Amino acid sequence: MAAARKRILKEYTECSNDTPPGMKINFDEQNMTEWEILMDGPEQSVYSGGHFKLRLTFPNEYPFKPPVVSFKTKIYHPNISNDDKGSMCLGMLRPDAWKPPNKVISVLHLVRTLLIEPNVDDAIEASIAGEFKDNKKGFEKTAKEWVKQYAK
Amino acid sequence: MDGAGQPNLRVTIIAADGLYKRDVFRFPDPFAVATVNGEQTRTTSVIKKTLNPYWNESFDMRVTEESVLAVQIFDQKKFKKKDQGFLGVINVRIGSVIDLDAGGDEMLTRDLKKSNDNMVVHGKLILNLSTNLATPINPPAQGPPTNRPSVSAHSSVNGLPAQGMATPVPQQSAPSLHPDTYPGNRNPIPTQPTPQRLSQPTPVAPPNSLPPPHSANGAQPRSGPGFSAFEDAQGRLPPGWERREDHLGRTYYVDHNTRQTTWIRPGAGFNEADQRTALAAQTQVERTRHQNRMLPEDRTGANSPTLSDRQPSPPGGTANAVSMMATGATTAGTGELPSGWEQRHTPEGRAYFVDHNTRTTTWVDPRRQQYIRMYGGQNANNSTIQQQPVSQLGPLPSGWEMRLTNTARVYFVDHNTKTTTWDDPRLPSSLDQNVPQYKRDFRRKLIYFRSQPALRIVSGQCHVKVRRTHIFEDSYHEIMRQSAADLKKRLMIKFDGEDGLDYGGLSREFFFLLSHEMFNPFYCLFEYSAHDNYTLQINPHSGINPEHLNYFKFIGRVVGLAIFHRRFLDAFFIGAFYKMILRKKVALQDMEGVDADFHRNLEWMLNNDITDALELTFSTEDERFGETVSIELKPGGEEIEVTNENKREYVDLITEWRIEKRVEEQFSAFISGFHELIPADLVNVFDERELELLIGGIADIDVDDWKKHTDYRGYTENDEVIANFWKCIRSWDAEQKSRLLQFATGTSRIPVNGFKDLQGSDGPRRFTIEKAGEPNQLPKSHTCFNRLDLPPYKSFDALNGKLTIAVEETVGFGQE
Repeated sequence: MAAARKRILKEYTECSNDTPPGMKINFDEQNMTEWEILMDGPEQSVYSGGHFKLRLTFPNEYPFKPPVVSFKTKIYHPNISNDDKGSMCLGMLRPDAWKPPNKVISVLHLVRTLLIEPNVDDAIEASIAGEFKDNKKGFEKTAKEWVKQYAK
Repeated sequence: MDGAGQPNLRVTIIAADGLYKRDVFRFPDPFAVATVNGEQTRTTSVIKKTLNPYWNESFDMRVTEESVLAVQIFDQKKFKKKDQGFLGVINVRIGSVIDLDAGGDEMLTRDLKKSNDNMVVHGKLILNLSTNLATPINPPAQGPPTNRPSVSAHSSVNGLPAQGMATPVPQQSAPSLHPDTYPGNRNPIPTQPTPQRLSQPTPVAPPNSLPPPHSANGAQPRSGPGFSAFEDAQGRLPPGWERREDHLGRTYYVDHNTRQTTWIRPGAGFNEADQRTALAAQTQVERTRHQNRMLPEDRTGANSPTLSDRQPSPPGGTANAVSMMATGATTAGTGELPSGWEQRHTPEGRAYFVDHNTRTTTWVDPRRQQYIRMYGGQNANNSTIQQQPVSQLGPLPSGWEMRLTNTARVYFVDHNTKTTTWDDPRLPSSLDQNVPQYKRDFRRKLIYFRSQPALRIVSGQCHVKVRRTHIFEDSYHEIMRQSAADLKKRLMIKFDGEDGLDYGGLSREFFFLLSHEMFNPFYCLFEYSAHDNYTLQINPHSGINPEHLNYFKFIGRVVGLAIFHRRFLDAFFIGAFYKMILRKKVALQDMEGVDADFHRNLEWMLNNDITDALELTFSTEDERFGETVSIELKPGGEEIEVTNENKREYVDLITEWRIEKRVEEQFSAFISGFHELIPADLVNVFDERELELLIGGIADIDVDDWKKHTDYRGYTENDEVIANFWKCIRSWDAEQKSRLLQFATGTSRIPVNGFKDLQGSDGPRRFTIEKAGEPNQLPKSHTCFNRLDLPPYKSFDALNGKLTIAVEETVGFGQE
């Protein structure tokens, strides 16, 4: 039983009352520290038409440590690690930037916003960020191909 | 008696994954035994030394839908000794997995279960059931058929006759530490679940196919479908190397060839010979550093020469001057040496003296009366040893008497306390005008500490014989079999197969090598803290080794032994660990060295309104072998809300839990061993920083290297304040420099390759001096970031004064 059980429950209620567009949360009361999130690529983004599966994990030290967001579906994005982890670590998700009162709902909004507008100044994949800056067409092409290939 | 009728089911025992490791230092030799309703026993071959055995062996058996297939896993080594070595069992009712009439082929992955005796069990078993018996049967995956253990005759395995009592199998109470059975192939943090391991089809070979490439060494990928533990984005690691993550998610690399761990990925141009050479060179640097550490009162301690020393002294006059200061060297005496004494020379031509009576060496000429040292001038480069004959000191205090040993060495008897000491009671305070107050305190504490009867070497010798290649194992047996009283005799270390009497050098080498082994995170007893990648803390999950408490007791004894015999360990711990040894209460600021982010957010909690923000109760979570358990921080804590009113209590309790309670068992084992040699009330004269120096010694810090790898914020290197700062540091002695380093970085330890490798809590962090504060304030430090906030002091004297006070008066780590 999670020490932060009450908090996580409350956050889940908050999130389900105000889920960001195109997101669905699969919540398992038996294992409430791991949320599965199904997310449609935002329409105004290159990821439009894709369906992405994310995992949001609450560490034991939550809320003193940030939740961990990882893309289970492969995605071509400068802020998401291009490996088996698909992890995301920027802004409020950084362990040294996280504050205990931060909410998961803001994390979800952050994820959505980043799909619409990647943050190239805080990229984890430098080569993708470089392409985004210098050859946006090429970036969009690959991103869309990946959506077709992995996120259908 | 193999069942009735023709076989109708082919059972393929493919592999097991993540078996439980009962001994920390050896791997099991697993084999599987399949039975149907307790009959038709079939046995696989034995796979040596692995937690992830791959058999891929098939057996044709006769079953019905109601039959229960049982597969048990055993460790062959232990199996020989009665029924120990059980590693788990699965039971499958045939009808529930396969339809015998319709036929089929089923791949099963089952969690291994405990048997009745409730021994801990881990891992999964993968097997295949098939009604297709037409294809030829799988041969054993590896190993000659003679490896196949006989199940029916426990005592006659491998042809050993069961008759007679003449060949009893020796029982070993402690796990053995063979170098070839080191704990490899295992995620060192048992609590990290690795759910993908078996759900991914990749590592599991389908029956009748070739084994997967990893199975040769019995390992499985542990980080998802992307990369196995033996490769990463840069490609495959060199043979014998494995990639792992520690408790903070930091990647490190294990070299199973040498049993070393490193943070640096072995590169593409990796060459084993080069790597070994580099490793040996690094060890040599560490060894030299270790041997150059000292304490202010060491006369015959770390820096005195030894008969077995083959090490040249570090070049340069400064080092010599420092060691002169440390050892109380004197000019040559005249006349005959006392009986049993001998004069020798170091390779550099410096004279030293061997006392064969006590088997000690010293720079001090025994023909001279005892001389008093004074720490000279402000500049270490021309520091000199000033001497005064004892006779100028005036009378001894009341109740004291000066005597000579039969080797003409002066000692003092205090009839008030009925104790004796080598140290002149008139020495401290009045004569050390030039020495800063704190230094005199540490020296006086050392004098007091070492003069106590409980810390005096008792007559006789304590022989410890070890093999260099098995130093952990051999030391464990040698040191645990002796009584604490025996360990207080003169320590005589002998390395197997090497000549040389222990006149100091061998025991120094012994503690150097042993500290590298026993604190190696490889053994899961200690781990690197969040502060950087070299200070150590107890691994809360050390219980993966069922014998771990014995090892902690042993390590406690070794730390005590080193202090008792005035040797240093090459190991540095988090500040809180020293406080715990001193039985001091840990505080929130100690958390900084354990987990900086956690610390920062606890601080946030104290400084902000938490109403409706956190939803916390007085409870927390811990993982125990993959299971998350809830822990109440106080009785009924799960029902008690944390509010603005009680949050201070919560912060205290969670801090205490994270730092102390989690490793309570391990620590009490450690401290019980420690106290056998060092009584608690004596070590308590030191504070935690002094204890770090007592255990690890004081290094001779290279100020040029320090300066070269320093960054400035708000200052430039040419500013007068900065010039004064370095001038001031250069004028300080080794202890004071170490104290400043403790103040600014939390530890007096310097990375092996110097200041360029200084680490902060978030990776490499160079030493940084920031312009902050007013000239009337004291400097501050941020140990997490190796940063010193230095106000712009107007003069050298002001800077020296303020810096001295800050370093001297602030006790406790973490000055945020």
